[in-house]
Amino acid sequence: MTRRWQALLAGGVAIIFAAAGFLAHQWQAADAPPDPVATGRMVLAAELMGLDDKPQRFEQWRGKVLVVNFWATWCAPCREEIPGFIKFQERYRADGVQFVGVAIDQKQRVVPYAKEMGINYPLVVGGMETMDWTRELGDRATVLPFTLILDRAGQVKLSKVGVLTTEKLEAAIKPLL
Amino acid sequence: MARLLFILTLLLAIGTQAFAQELLEPEKAFQFSARLLDDRQVEIKYVIAPGYYLYREKFKFTAEPASVSVDASQLPPGKVKKDEFFGEVQTYRGELRFVLPVKGLAAQAPQFTLKAVSQGCADIGVCYPPQEQTANVTLAAFSPAGAATPSTPFLANAPPARAAGPQSEDALIAGLFKGGFWVLIASFFGFGLLLALTPCVFPMIPILSGILVPHGAHLTHVRGFVLSLVYVLGMAITYAAAGVAAGLLGTMLSSALQNVWVLSGFAAIFVLLALSMFGFYELQLPASMQSRLAATSNRLHGGHFASVFVMGVLSALIVGPCVAAPLAGALLYISQSGDGVLGGAALFAMALGMGVPLLAVGASAGTLLPKAGPWMDTVKRFFGIVLLGVAIYLVSPLLPAAAHMLAWAALLIVSAIYMHALDPLPPNAPGAHRLFKGIGVISLLAGAALLVGALSGGRDILQPLAGLRGAAGAVEHAPAFQRIDSSAQLDSAISAAAGKPVMLDFYADWCVSCKEMERYTFTNEAVRTRLAGMVALQADVTQNNDEHKALLKRFSLFGPPGIIFFDRQGKQLNDLRVVGFQPADKFAATLDLALR
Repeated sequence: MTRRWQALLAGGVAIIFAAAGFLAHQWQAADAPPDPVATGRMVLAAELMGLDDKPQRFEQWRGKVLVVNFWATWCAPCREEIPGFIKFQERYRADGVQFVGVAIDQKQRVVPYAKEMGINYPLVVGGMETMDWTRELGDRATVLPFTLILDRAGQVKLSKVGVLTTEKLEAAIKPLL
Repeated sequence: MARLLFILTLLLAIGTQAFAQELLEPEKAFQFSARLLDDRQVEIKYVIAPGYYLYREKFKFTAEPASVSVDASQLPPGKVKKDEFFGEVQTYRGELRFVLPVKGLAAQAPQFTLKAVSQGCADIGVCYPPQEQTANVTLAAFSPAGAATPSTPFLANAPPARAAGPQSEDALIAGLFKGGFWVLIASFFGFGLLLALTPCVFPMIPILSGILVPHGAHLTHVRGFVLSLVYVLGMAITYAAAGVAAGLLGTMLSSALQNVWVLSGFAAIFVLLALSMFGFYELQLPASMQSRLAATSNRLHGGHFASVFVMGVLSALIVGPCVAAPLAGALLYISQSGDGVLGGAALFAMALGMGVPLLAVGASAGTLLPKAGPWMDTVKRFFGIVLLGVAIYLVSPLLPAAAHMLAWAALLIVSAIYMHALDPLPPNAPGAHRLFKGIGVISLLAGAALLVGALSGGRDILQPLAGLRGAAGAVEHAPAFQRIDSSAQLDSAISAAAGKPVMLDFYADWCVSCKEMERYTFTNEAVRTRLAGMVALQADVTQNNDEHKALLKRFSLFGPPGIIFFDRQGKQLNDLRVVGFQPADKFAATLDLALR
């Protein structure tokens, strides 16, 4: 085969691959994480029942570095990260960091667990419909744990599905202080 | 250029790696289905994706109406897992199947709604909330959760679960992915070896030969083998990449390539190659470039490998878009798990298996081909004819049957003339000449038969003269299919079937195994009588428009071939789907099951 034929064939193949790449890109773009401003707004607009059966509005935490953690007592990986959250809440409370736990659970299970662990940040309880809400917030597979970190302006700076390591948490919080 | 291709392939692979990290939606991670064995036992099945597990103690089963009860006190033992928070827990992985006793069912036409609550996690450290899945259970095939009642109450906007038949051949193959890596690779290599003996691979043999033959004098064992290896690698990498893309995008690249321009362009390349075989011109670099190349590179210069590789790539995309069960199974797995890496590896192994005969051709070419002299020219001309045949084969889906037959007639007759079919033999001609003339005469007669057949209205290339037999000996025709073009048309056709089972056949002009089915299976007497008791629908997805894609997607298919059955109530029979060619006796047995 001559060079010209090679060039033509190479061109054809390049076009095919480019097309495949373009399609794959579009496919990916459709699934891009929701935008940080709108998601943050959605979080702050929420209102869920506290452990004392009083509704808690997320608006009250506006202006803080807000860490919203979706968890449940039946979820082992969620339990794994909670001691770390307690430590961080203690360490950074003075710097305006506020943790909030959203338990996808029953209140009667959450209360003894919170006491046992000594959870030092507010907890609210949501039913299964809250999982639909987490999907909109970016937890596409509706799994736990799921954690969002909002800056003081109410914009989502970190959206993490799965266990959040202390290193990652620290790295995410530090620049927001 | 080889480097460029490598980079392109690598980019695709990296892209799929990213997808592989995606978490599955709960109904895909834990696929639930159930069926009644009799009026006392219900069989529950969960297909748990690799890397995911369900907790034994979290299962809850309830039945509706309340008069029916399911006893879930006896679940099979699971794998013990030590959990730092929950102590020892039992978990299930892979495929989970168990039978539960049911009470309160009517002995005749037992039916109820089963609600199953399950909870599980993924190994990467996330958990799914308890999920309720429902199945309408009757004495029929597995009813996948959500197919009848798409109700996952916690996940209101979740898409209904994929109606992937747990029992169908492609789904069984998708199940292979749960086994060990090497078992999987070996199985797919084996599937490839089997596929090597089907029309999916045949056209590649003359193409590869066409590449090797011009080397003539220089072709050693090693070089022949290496060149065919490069070709096979090009084909295999493309197969894997195109397969992964299809699995993730849900549509086959090859169906987009089966259009007039691509096929004609590729056929034109073969015509040019063929003409060079006839010595009309030399396909060579200009002399100046040639000498420069010779100075800078050794005998095995890369430029040639690149072109052979590209031929492999194009052959995989255009010549061999055959969907058989292994390919469909791998695509199903990729689409459901998002794991393009494992799926791609399996497809690569399969394509290597398909390439084994090609490697044999390559290695033997060095020995079998004459080194030089007038014989070499004869061999070249022979492959020139074969390449023209490939060109006709490629464009055959675009041509009306008559033009197709005329093209073959022209090729056979003109070749025969070159083989001296009409020149008298000298009285003391050697045996080889006589044999050669004999072959020429056969070719001439076959060409003439095609010509006469085409001109007298025959449209079947394998029975060109059938039209001359007259009305009495009319050819057996495939049963009449009712054409459907969209999901909505399918639904109305199923409801119009009024108690008859329904068969839906996916077809496209470029689909080789669809044509095989039409010619050899649907025309069979036993198959035809059984089909008479059913409503036969056909979706011609040659155009692959949005409606067609949606229809294919509904059945987790990526392209034709694919045959789906529905029972008398219009419910899809997942365990009966047929992907790829099935001979008449086997297909008749499948139909018996559908008619049951």
